[in-house]
Amino acid sequence: MSEPAPATARAGAADGHGAPEGNPDDVLRVRNLSTRFFTEEGQINAVESVDFTVRDGEVFGIVGESGSGKSVAALSLIDLVDSPGRITSGEVWYRDADLADEFRDDLPEAVDGDFVDTRRLPEGVRRALRGPAFSMVFQDPMSSLNPSITVGEQIAEAVEVQRRARANPRSTRSRTQEYGMGRLIVDTLLPNRGYTSESSMNRAIELLEQVGIPDPAERAHEYPHQFSGGMLQRAMIAQALAGEPDVLIADEPTTALDVTIQAQILNLLRDLQEEQDTSVVMITHDLGVIARMCNRVGVMYAGQVVERGTLADVFESPVHPYTEGLIGSIPDLDDPDPRLQPIGGNVPSLLDEEMGGRCFFADRCPKAMSDCLQDIPEYAADEGCDDHAVRCVLAEREYSEADALPADYFDRNKEVRGDE
Amino acid sequence: MGYGRFLLKRGVQGVGVVWGVVTVVFLLRFITPGSPIDTVAPLDASQETRRQIARELGLNQPLYVQYLDYIWELLHGNMGYSYISSIPASVQVFQKLPATLELAVAASVVAIVLSIPLGVVSATRRHQPADYAATSFSLLGISTPNFWLGIMLVLMFAVELNVFPTSGRAYGFMQSLAAITGPRPFFTVVTAWVASLFLPAITLGTYFTALITRLVRSGMLDELSSGYVRATRAKGLPETLVRYKHVLRNTLVPVVTVLGLQLGTLIGGAVITEAVFAWPGLGSEIIRAINARDWPILQGSLIVIGTGFVLLNIVVDALYAYLDPRVVAE
Amino acid sequence: MKIGPLSISPRTIRNLRKEFRSSGLARIGVVLIALVVLAAVFAPLIAPHNPRTQNLDRAQLPPLGFTDTEQQTQTKIVDGSVQTVTRNVTVNATATYPLGTNALGQDMLSRVIYGARTSLLVGLLGTVLAALLGVTVGLTAGYYRGRIDDALMRTADVSLAFPSLVLAIALIGLFSRFQADVAYRVSDPLVTSGLAGWFRDMVGLPTPMPETFVIPTVVVLVVGFVNWVWFARIARGEALSIREEEYVKAARALGGSDVRIVFRHVLPNAITPILVLATIQVAAIILLESSLSFLGFSGTTLSWGFDIAQGRGYLSSSWWIATMPGIAIVLSVIGINLVGDWLRDALDPGIEGEGGM
Repeated sequence: MSEPAPATARAGAADGHGAPEGNPDDVLRVRNLSTRFFTEEGQINAVESVDFTVRDGEVFGIVGESGSGKSVAALSLIDLVDSPGRITSGEVWYRDADLADEFRDDLPEAVDGDFVDTRRLPEGVRRALRGPAFSMVFQDPMSSLNPSITVGEQIAEAVEVQRRARANPRSTRSRTQEYGMGRLIVDTLLPNRGYTSESSMNRAIELLEQVGIPDPAERAHEYPHQFSGGMLQRAMIAQALAGEPDVLIADEPTTALDVTIQAQILNLLRDLQEEQDTSVVMITHDLGVIARMCNRVGVMYAGQVVERGTLADVFESPVHPYTEGLIGSIPDLDDPDPRLQPIGGNVPSLLDEEMGGRCFFADRCPKAMSDCLQDIPEYAADEGCDDHAVRCVLAEREYSEADALPADYFDRNKEVRGDE
Repeated sequence: MGYGRFLLKRGVQGVGVVWGVVTVVFLLRFITPGSPIDTVAPLDASQETRRQIARELGLNQPLYVQYLDYIWELLHGNMGYSYISSIPASVQVFQKLPATLELAVAASVVAIVLSIPLGVVSATRRHQPADYAATSFSLLGISTPNFWLGIMLVLMFAVELNVFPTSGRAYGFMQSLAAITGPRPFFTVVTAWVASLFLPAITLGTYFTALITRLVRSGMLDELSSGYVRATRAKGLPETLVRYKHVLRNTLVPVVTVLGLQLGTLIGGAVITEAVFAWPGLGSEIIRAINARDWPILQGSLIVIGTGFVLLNIVVDALYAYLDPRVVAE
Repeated sequence: MKIGPLSISPRTIRNLRKEFRSSGLARIGVVLIALVVLAAVFAPLIAPHNPRTQNLDRAQLPPLGFTDTEQQTQTKIVDGSVQTVTRNVTVNATATYPLGTNALGQDMLSRVIYGARTSLLVGLLGTVLAALLGVTVGLTAGYYRGRIDDALMRTADVSLAFPSLVLAIALIGLFSRFQADVAYRVSDPLVTSGLAGWFRDMVGLPTPMPETFVIPTVVVLVVGFVNWVWFARIARGEALSIREEEYVKAARALGGSDVRIVFRHVLPNAITPILVLATIQVAAIILLESSLSFLGFSGTTLSWGFDIAQGRGYLSSSWWIATMPGIAIVLSVIGINLVGDWLRDALDPGIEGEGGM
């Protein structure tokens, strides 16, 4: 499944396009997704040809150091990359039979079986998928809720927008109800009574209760600054669940919280995920969270998913030296002589001009060989495990001392190139 | 702290500031060299006459007695009498006040109606022609002295095109209302009123339109980059709702604060606009009073303006706390 | 007084450079300011005429590119009876007076150039005065907090309650009784040293320039006094937060005197927003000065505002008299605002809309 889909004739697949093959349980298949930022310093390749799949009712983890592009990858899924960033290529195939039927005739290239490529859908439809298809929990709950609107109202908005959408599917107008300057004035004069209805508010209170907020009816009328961090993250989760999404993206949902509260939030996510059979994409730098929560996992480095597979594949038999290094960097408490093994060097800047046509990890890799300088490696399935794929030459050959690069190879090269 | 207590606290502070204003205004007369007697008395007045005047004005009393007297009289609505016309200062000041209020309100309406949409368009279409037009306009607007703008408008619309009167106030708002039943034709009166108000209101309003446009634009750009906007989009809210209900509302919070601080500029601008258009308001009265050394009128005007400023700022604070609930909590 | 080490970090300078490079507007601003400063400093060298010389024969000449129609009335004896003959005469612009002349026949260009001096002098001196007053008050209030803070800030509130223009007029009205002379006359070093004469002879403009120049002292004092509040607010806010910083606490623990701590630690770290505010204030004070001279409170006649007031009487016949000085004001204020925006974007001092006209 890791190979790009062969160009066999399939219903709806035009010009050799179509959803990548995969497990029948997949709800999301991402292929070749690239997101770039066009800044004054130059082009930044935050996400570089990323492939992965997410199955029904599973927790898929994306793990990487900060700056590895994992948050941008998450935002790309839900189409929330802000300028100067832009998704430059790739497909995000999402399984929705109704949607597929709707577009089968008009946009055949965007439909393949029950899957639609959200990248090829009109922008309005893509937006309409936020909420019922995808939704997101962010890292810092304090800054992710509007400080001047009550928590309940904000959740009720999320409920309301889906109610309106169901009443009149995919019509932007009905969702907006022509919300303009006039409504703003009304809302300012009569706060919390503009857009949302009584029943949405009641549903919001239910949701708050579901995520374990005590006295939800009262707390719904409080403002974010009156909530603690943990409670606020619960509210954020309630808000994300309001549209009953198929895929919930959680971007470092516990990083900003106290350690004691982190566990509670993770348990809550796990419970809700099992209860509602939602798929979760869990983005984190914390391998502990991955080990505890995820069924399958993708490891990101320098904008690429360098290794992916089941939790057991990746954690117990990592192939990519970066994954090995990551796992090596967690102290093992059972080890009588625990020693943290940090990976030397820093995450690359992701500036396009500084990225060579080689494996991005080669300069930090303890097993760098001359082969690593040839090309950016493609995905290769690890032998025996269909689902375990690695972007590393080591997937196809053994490490050999003879081909190893000298230890100071990249330092020397830098001097030659006259880098600062 | 509840909303009511918050307002009460602001109100008490406001009373303190008004008291400060009154004190400063009272003292103004005493840092002025020369005695008011010189202004009032005829040049050839005898010593006896001068003493008589001093007694009438209470100038023979110790300073603190005069101060307490002044406050006591103020509390009874007495601001003294014009040295020139002997009319009570309160009467004269409040006679001129409506014209100034009318001008200030008209200018504020112009400013708010134009600036908020301009700022929103500018921020949401960043680096597009509409944004460049709005930013150029607002830069020009905050850089143009309003008296010169007024003169240029007169040159263009009154002298060259002859569509608006060059100066003066045709009818007031109240007169226009009265014309509904009055003998003069309603339409003529209202047209004349609006025509005479038009150029002064634009003159005074331009700076504020430009200022608020800039504030809304930069505030909105700030807000648009904050985390909750992304979260609001992620939950599926349509862009109009994100923009108006969430972003613009939060943008208005700092805008309102700055406007509170800039109310003084509005009144100062009104003074000079009145001078340009011979608008018979408080501003013209202040300039006349200073040139004629008619201190009671100046004092009365300053007290009215200062009190008005304090009251409006309490309104602004109330609005601020209403828009941003965190303010009350602090 | 030594103001500690001014902390301008390399990062700040990099930001300034970056913003400057990316912003064409900042460049325009710098050019405009440079033009105003050059005009102000070298006025006696570059002004084509003496701005005070009147010449009624050449009154109300239009600026280059325009013609003006003037009605001439002549009394003649025609066929033995006295008749008044009115005829239209076309007045052409001349390159000698590129911006035209005013009702007294004074060269508008020279007056605009000399007006830059008044505006800039009042703008800079007024700002320095306001900053000295305001920063002192603000730092004191913010550093000591408590009652001193309350008292000083309530004073600031009272001061804010008077619109600056109204307060300025009132203060000038009061000051004007202290001394009849509201302005201070200084000799112009460029003229008295003979430099201006030598230069003008060389370029072929042998007109003698005015030997003295008027500094409107009262206006400077008044605008400085009127605008201190904005500096006080900013300085206080900065002092309030900086005094909580560890290094200030450490300095206090080591027994440094308050004055020393304020000047060595608080002020240098508060200087960025103060400088940005000062830039914007120069523009605000230039506008205030022009308003005051427009209303006739300036103390000098070589001022843009004064000329606009003069030109107001001739709007229907000579529009340029009121127009030219106004354009000068707008351009110089735009220049300062552009530079202010640049500094604000680059330094991000967190001030918005502070300071008024």
